[in-house]
Amino acid sequence: MSDLYDEIRDVAAQYPVRRSAVLPALRLAQDHYGWLPPQAFRDVAEALELTPAYCQSVASFYDMFHLEPVGRCLIEVCTNISCALVGAQAVLEQFENELGITAGQTTADGEFTLRTVECAGGCGWGTVVAIDHRYREHVKADDVGGILSELRGAEPVGVGRGPGVSEDGAVGDGAA
Amino acid sequence: MSGVDLVTVTIDERELRVPKGSGMVEAALAAGIEIPVFCYEPRLGPPVGACRMCLCEVEGIPKPQAACTLTAQDGMVLRTAATSALAKDGQEAVLEFILLNHPLDCPDCDKGGECPLQDLTFRYGPGSTRMHFSKRTFDKPIPISPLIALDRERCILCYRCTRFSEGVSEDGQLVALERGADSFIATFEDEPYRAHFSGNVVELCPVGALTSTAYRFKARPWEIQNVPTVCGQCPVGCNTWISTREGKVVRILSRNHPEVDEGWICDKGRFAYGHLDAEDRISEPLRRIRRHGFEPVTFAEAAQETARALRAAGSSVAVAFSGTETVEEAEAMARIAREALGSDRAILPDDPHPALDAWRAPLSAIRNAEVCLVLGDHPVIERAPAVDLWLRSARRAGAEIITVGPTGSVQTLPGSAPAVAAELASGSVPEELREASRRLRKATRVALVWSEDDPTGGRPIAALASALRLGDGSGVYWIPSTPNGRGVAAAWHAAGAGRETTPPPPEAELGALIVSGDRAAADPVVLALAERADFVLTSAMFMSQVAGWSHILWPGSAYLERAGTTVNLEGRPQRQHPAVGGPEFHELALLAAIGAHLGLAVDAWPSFESSDEHAPLPARGKAVPVPVTPTPMPAGSEEGLALVTYESLFSGLSVERTPTLAFQLTEAEVELARADALAGGISTGDTVVVSSNGSATELRARINQRLKTGVVRIPADHAHGLGQRVEVRKP
Amino acid sequence: MTDDSTPELRPLLFAHAQDADLTKIDAYERAGGYASLRKALTSDREELLEQFLASGLRGRGGAGFPMGRKASFLPKPDQTTKPIYLAVNADESEPGTFKDREIMFRLPHALIEGVLIASYAIGAEIAFIYLRGEYLREYEIVRDALDQARARGLVGANVLGSGYSVDIVLHRGAGAYICGEETGLLESLEGKRGQPRSKPPFPAISGLYAAPTLINNVETLATLPAIIAMGGEEYAAIGTESSTGTRVFSLSGNVARGGNYELELGTTLRTLIYDIGGGIPNGRRLKAVIPGGSSVPVLDASEIDTTLDFDEMAKAGSMLGSGAVIVIDDRACMVQLGLRVAQFYQHESCGKCTPCREGTRWMVQLLEKLEVGEASQGELDLLLDVCDRILGKCLCPLGDAAAMPIASYVAKFRDEYQRHIEEGGCPFGGESSLEGVMAPVAQHHRDQRSAIEVPA
Ligand SMILES: Cc1cc2nc3c(=O)[nH]c(=O)nc-3n(C[C@H](O)[C@H](O)[C@H](O)COP(=O)(O)O)c2cc1C
Ligand code: SF4
Ligand code: FES
Repeated sequence: MSDLYDEIRDVAAQYPVRRSAVLPALRLAQDHYGWLPPQAFRDVAEALELTPAYCQSVASFYDMFHLEPVGRCLIEVCTNISCALVGAQAVLEQFENELGITAGQTTADGEFTLRTVECAGGCGWGTVVAIDHRYREHVKADDVGGILSELRGAEPVGVGRGPGVSEDGAVGDGAA
Repeated sequence: MSGVDLVTVTIDERELRVPKGSGMVEAALAAGIEIPVFCYEPRLGPPVGACRMCLCEVEGIPKPQAACTLTAQDGMVLRTAATSALAKDGQEAVLEFILLNHPLDCPDCDKGGECPLQDLTFRYGPGSTRMHFSKRTFDKPIPISPLIALDRERCILCYRCTRFSEGVSEDGQLVALERGADSFIATFEDEPYRAHFSGNVVELCPVGALTSTAYRFKARPWEIQNVPTVCGQCPVGCNTWISTREGKVVRILSRNHPEVDEGWICDKGRFAYGHLDAEDRISEPLRRIRRHGFEPVTFAEAAQETARALRAAGSSVAVAFSGTETVEEAEAMARIAREALGSDRAILPDDPHPALDAWRAPLSAIRNAEVCLVLGDHPVIERAPAVDLWLRSARRAGAEIITVGPTGSVQTLPGSAPAVAAELASGSVPEELREASRRLRKATRVALVWSEDDPTGGRPIAALASALRLGDGSGVYWIPSTPNGRGVAAAWHAAGAGRETTPPPPEAELGALIVSGDRAAADPVVLALAERADFVLTSAMFMSQVAGWSHILWPGSAYLERAGTTVNLEGRPQRQHPAVGGPEFHELALLAAIGAHLGLAVDAWPSFESSDEHAPLPARGKAVPVPVTPTPMPAGSEEGLALVTYESLFSGLSVERTPTLAFQLTEAEVELARADALAGGISTGDTVVVSSNGSATELRARINQRLKTGVVRIPADHAHGLGQRVEVRKP
Repeated sequence: MTDDSTPELRPLLFAHAQDADLTKIDAYERAGGYASLRKALTSDREELLEQFLASGLRGRGGAGFPMGRKASFLPKPDQTTKPIYLAVNADESEPGTFKDREIMFRLPHALIEGVLIASYAIGAEIAFIYLRGEYLREYEIVRDALDQARARGLVGANVLGSGYSVDIVLHRGAGAYICGEETGLLESLEGKRGQPRSKPPFPAISGLYAAPTLINNVETLATLPAIIAMGGEEYAAIGTESSTGTRVFSLSGNVARGGNYELELGTTLRTLIYDIGGGIPNGRRLKAVIPGGSSVPVLDASEIDTTLDFDEMAKAGSMLGSGAVIVIDDRACMVQLGLRVAQFYQHESCGKCTPCREGTRWMVQLLEKLEVGEASQGELDLLLDVCDRILGKCLCPLGDAAAMPIASYVAKFRDEYQRHIEEGGCPFGGESSLEGVMAPVAQHHRDQRSAIEVPA
């Protein structure tokens, strides 16, 4: 508990004004609790000398903060237009079918939260699926089963390839 | 007008000369042109241009501009919807968007009849709606505190309320949650909006989204009377409007005195009128019958019996004041005691040092200060809430705020204020004050605030002001402990023709004692006097031990029920006007009748007419040099923690009798410095035992990062029996 | 036709990126990295600003404002008592755009070098890199690159012994498109909700913590080392007169080889899509192109000879925006496209100003109704009117960014919108490539019920 306080105070020291550390502090608190329960806002507020209400107000503005519990592994499917044009919806539906939940929900065993996100920034290599914020690109509906068994079998964090880096690790189609 | 740069702007084809940089909404208004606004409210800080209601055309700019964000520049040509199709299109678009999700439930909305949205829709709005989808819906009015209800469907997200909370009172309690069309206003989880100024958001809301629970469904604007008066709850004296319906107070609104309150009033001033109708109020004059309690007496009998007793007591009479009397009442009592009976014995709750008048300045001058120095152990916000707002506003305007005290920016032990003032005045300061001393001496506009009880009436701060040779741009603000302590002291001294005031002797017999007001009646010193006095007259609203000892008990009036003058902490005399009736005969009428029996002419009614004008501040007094009295700094000690207590704003008879304010009462809490808490293994929320001198009490701990290490703070109502040094430990 | 012309790649930023791992500082320095910084540190500030101006470099974030001019609006260090800041816009969130990500992924040092050059030129005390929160890998890479640069004395006190000190703080966002808008970014960096500010005052005068602040996009800044190396004028010789230099275009959608391609400005869309991107796969036909990210008006297939140039694109009624080229083939229903784009802007509207907050929601409602075939002719007109009522009336450009594309879809593909009304449903009959695409639902909306009691 007091560790979180100290971590937040350390981060805050980087900024000319302490309040600037609200986002990093909320992120630290989210790492600590897994999501942002009311106590997390009290903790951040105490460390940054703000009010819990203020911290909650800020957190609720941003999509990456979870004001409700999430699963141990967060699966995010980009359904913005570039991904959508190359089949994001099919990928999403495959996840929904295999997990037995709809986007926005968490599996009963608390393992997976599935959600749709706005453009993830991998448009040329759609469909982009982020697993705990590690990107998988060129994902097709057929890949979903494999991804899930990999996640179920091992540590939940995928390695994540770089933008446009293909399966074999070669620098991808981007000729940049 | 020298120094003001005038520029020419054209609004709707009318040329105007206005000061450069002045707001275009105001400039237009001065020319009689209305630019509709919602989010714009200059008192909330720089314009945010959020609602877009004020869109106007500016020559040379293709897109319509938010007029609220524009300032007058020479040659600017502005067109409102009255003369510009572009502006009209913008205005209509925005109004349509605002009404899109509004429930249009004017018939059962408290704001109806005084609602800017209703008025603007009436004037410019679309006649029908083109939105046929379901509107945003929320749970119907939810209380965000026992005082305030929020109807989210009506909210137009102008963010006035949250801007107040974040940027004016800086309480950070009322916020917007979520984003975009999902945004809504809320407090943290289900916790109430608990802050000193919460009620102002009700007045700020331009629609009926935030309403007062007490006023809800009570009256239509055209069914109420509004009486201008001055708040009597603290020494600031904010200007207010009292709305009454059928002889009852139904709400209190601000009457914006720009020099005193800038249109903000605290929750005590706004909501604590519940005590007027309290069931335990003393409602008629009473006479004590030995052992058998009280029986009613007539007005004439009460006056006659009191006069007889006073005459018998002669110079052995003493008056105990509350500081809540009007100047006229205090003057009547002072003349009865001093002129008619020749007694100089009084207990004055406040007695300011006369030299302070030389640095009199309006509260609004605090905002212009370069440096504000606040000295004393009493939190300013608890004692004179509006002063806290002025200080915050000064800080936002760039002033440096130096607070010296247990929670100050310069941290001192409790009781250090006189010593610190003396050090700063003499210029020989310890390391931690060196910077403050340097800034104070360098600045030309200084505000000194004294928030400390001391028997000298603020002599140390006067000596500091004197040493700093404060000039015209500076002011000294001495905060009395009672609303009209200043006016009462002045009235008492005026009646004495230069004679010294002597406190009633603690041992000797007393012929008669006049106990004026509930505050005096609650004072243990007064109780001790009452027990020894041959005759006691008490005038109070509520029963107390002292009242029980009284021979004649007179029903006191509340400040909302009477006419009279009060002098606020600035030294500004202001008029109170009765909003509702109260007791049949007021204190002044009784005093006039007593005076008549004693051969003294006292007016039964103050000699001024009712008016809603803002009172001016009298000129400064002549500067008299005040020498510095060297004062020792309180010594620290190895053992235990130093205790500092304070009286919360939300305490006292009126708050206790207003059920909706109960949640504002201070919690049974002890504040600890972080280091002390860590040392004791204590976290916020833990129950701890605070003990001293053999008495102990259990309180909830809260870490206050601004508290000096080695000091703990407890609200006075929870610190009974504790001495100056305490131990705090987990049970 | 350009069948036999060679793809006109013009790697300038990415010059050495194919041959070496430039995330390593040694490799970067071997490829000539940080030489521009050394050069800059020995020049005076005015001279650098001249170079920026001469290069004609226009902002790569979206608005295309000349970088040198913006930098010249800031007070000089001796003209202000306040600190000066640089804020790097690395919030890349415009749908279709992923170039900044690749720059940070492969060329973190080019970004850092550019940041240092710009910081020195304006006399900044601290440079903040506002990095999109979702970009976790890129965060790690830039963080590591910063550590390497710090270890070499390139960042921090007394940069390379020049007497100039600057710190670079890496600040991560947390998922909000609007924080890419420059004043929304500043608010967010100050620890607030990322709601844009009303301008003026402009950030150059009163930006971060009310101090003078220069805000530039990642690509804009990463281009500076090349400009300093070759000289502004030489840089200006690349590209066209109004659009100098190269740009990294993000190509996506129904195209064979999506990815980032660095091209000389002035190249045609056709070249990018067909020669470089390999054309439309699966034997489909090109239907439309969004040339600058989802915020800009669409072009139809007949317009792909338009060049990638700020002015030419404006003449064609669209914008170069963030350089994101989204290719749409004939399987896409343009009503569904409109709906999905509108949903995005509704989701990302910050909620501060009325037209955007209320208007985007209304647009979505109308488009939903249109898509299912339940809208009347009047409602299509109403949709256009709603767009018109948003346009030009908002506090920041997001509202326009929502209204403009939708209005352009209707204008260019009116028949498709019309058919939804006339046929009482989607003419694609469920076969559209965008059929049923789900937008993010409100992430954590809670209708608060209050436990607070009001005493009688
Ligand atoms: C809604 C909105 C989103 C934006 N998002 C980005 C962004 O993600 N990245 C970016 O560099 N610029 C973005 N911009 C443009 C910035 O406001 C700003 O113009 C840019 O960062 C300036 O840098 P530049 O001059 O180097 O392009 C956005 C603008 C708007 C209105
Ligand atoms: S246009 Fe949209 S995003 Fe921009 S300020 Fe208005 S509501 Fe916020
Ligand atoms: S009054 Fe100008 S935008 Fe609200």
